[in-house]
Amino acid sequence: MVQMAIELRNVRKQRRTKTIGPLNLKLPEGHITALVGQNGSGKSTLLQMLLQLNHPEQGQIYWFESMYADRLPVELRQRITYVPETSLSEEKHWSAEDAARFRSYWYPQWDNSYFQELIDTFEVPLNIKLGKMSKGERRKFEIAAALAARPRLLLLDEPSSGLDPFAWKKMIEVLRRYMNENNATIVISTHIVEEVRRLADYIVFMHQGQVLGMAEKDSLYGLWNEVWVNVSDQEELKELSAELPGTLHWTMDTPGVASFVTEHFYKIEKRIQNLGVHVIKSRSLELDEILSLWTQGHYPELVDLERGD
Amino acid sequence: MWIPIQINENSAEPLYHQIETQLRALIISGVITEGTLLPSIREFAGDLNCSVITVRRVYQDLEGEGMLRTRQGTGTFVSHVGDGAREGYKRDAVTKALESAVNIAQSVHSSEEELREIFQEIVERKYKEQQ
Repeated sequence: MVQMAIELRNVRKQRRTKTIGPLNLKLPEGHITALVGQNGSGKSTLLQMLLQLNHPEQGQIYWFESMYADRLPVELRQRITYVPETSLSEEKHWSAEDAARFRSYWYPQWDNSYFQELIDTFEVPLNIKLGKMSKGERRKFEIAAALAARPRLLLLDEPSSGLDPFAWKKMIEVLRRYMNENNATIVISTHIVEEVRRLADYIVFMHQGQVLGMAEKDSLYGLWNEVWVNVSDQEELKELSAELPGTLHWTMDTPGVASFVTEHFYKIEKRIQNLGVHVIKSRSLELDEILSLWTQGHYPELVDLERGD
Repeated sequence: MWIPIQINENSAEPLYHQIETQLRALIISGVITEGTLLPSIREFAGDLNCSVITVRRVYQDLEGEGMLRTRQGTGTFVSHVGDGAREGYKRDAVTKALESAVNIAQSVHSSEEELREIFQEIVERKYKEQQ
């Protein structure tokens, strides 16, 4: 069975204008979980609770299957690193090297040669103060410093905001390599579909302070299809859609061609053919389209972690 | 090692099934030879942009079929594939391809005779080219 890096049980947090939770969630160790959802859906609050920067009013949080209600033990805290959405201002008068020296004091696993390697890879300037760096440069420093502490749990809050496409690609590669060489867990909040596609093993979907569900990434892709068929007129379209319960968004695209959206296309493909209807083409829905269906209440099949792999 | 697997994102075939079928074919056809060390689960997932869960499932299935073996701490290797399996695979692959050709012929209402004629022609032309 898979060990859990994080488990949330009925966790509730009151924010100024809204309530987050109750959250129930299990994040498996050794995997990358992407938190996706609109602004204000509670992703950052969730990440902050995993570091105890925020404390929930109700519910329990477990780290590696143990609960620490008061305070995370130092040995565990030293194995968790965090790239916050906005960098801390406390370090702004330091250069990357000063900040690295300071952090190495707090993180005993700090790997300075790895830090140097990452700084080289990301081309972060060493001699200017963090506060004087561009947003992207500062971001790259933060990612490098979070990894150099050799975390067992890495929390990334929109790490790629401000990165140019080249730096972004390097970040993806660096994170993959870290995961390949260490039994680490990454929780990453992101708005970038391509980032989810390239990195995530699991996707947790948050909406208005709730977890709408968690799915294995690959089970989402190919789950929904848009299908184009030959249909002569509106009447035939109506008849056909009635024959295919569960299909959505029927539209007449051009005379003679209609499209619709369906889950598990392969299950109804034969049926469509038997009805004498010609399928012109089909395509898999993109992640953002799947997520928008999700907010409309069309849940995908969820993962069952208990089953193991 | 880089494994030439092509994923069709618009296929209704589940991702793990696409990967498994192609990897099996590469092993049986001898493109990937016995003893080859396959990429780690995380590396392979990265190459294919899929999750480690999918790759793990593929490796486990093929291990179950005896095509792969995993050595703790070293990685996953290609095992010995018997000649019987190779012959069987060859036959299956050709049968499948011919079946889909016949399906097309039927869908455009070719007669049996017509189809045999076309088939004969293609075989003669292709095998002559080879000589």
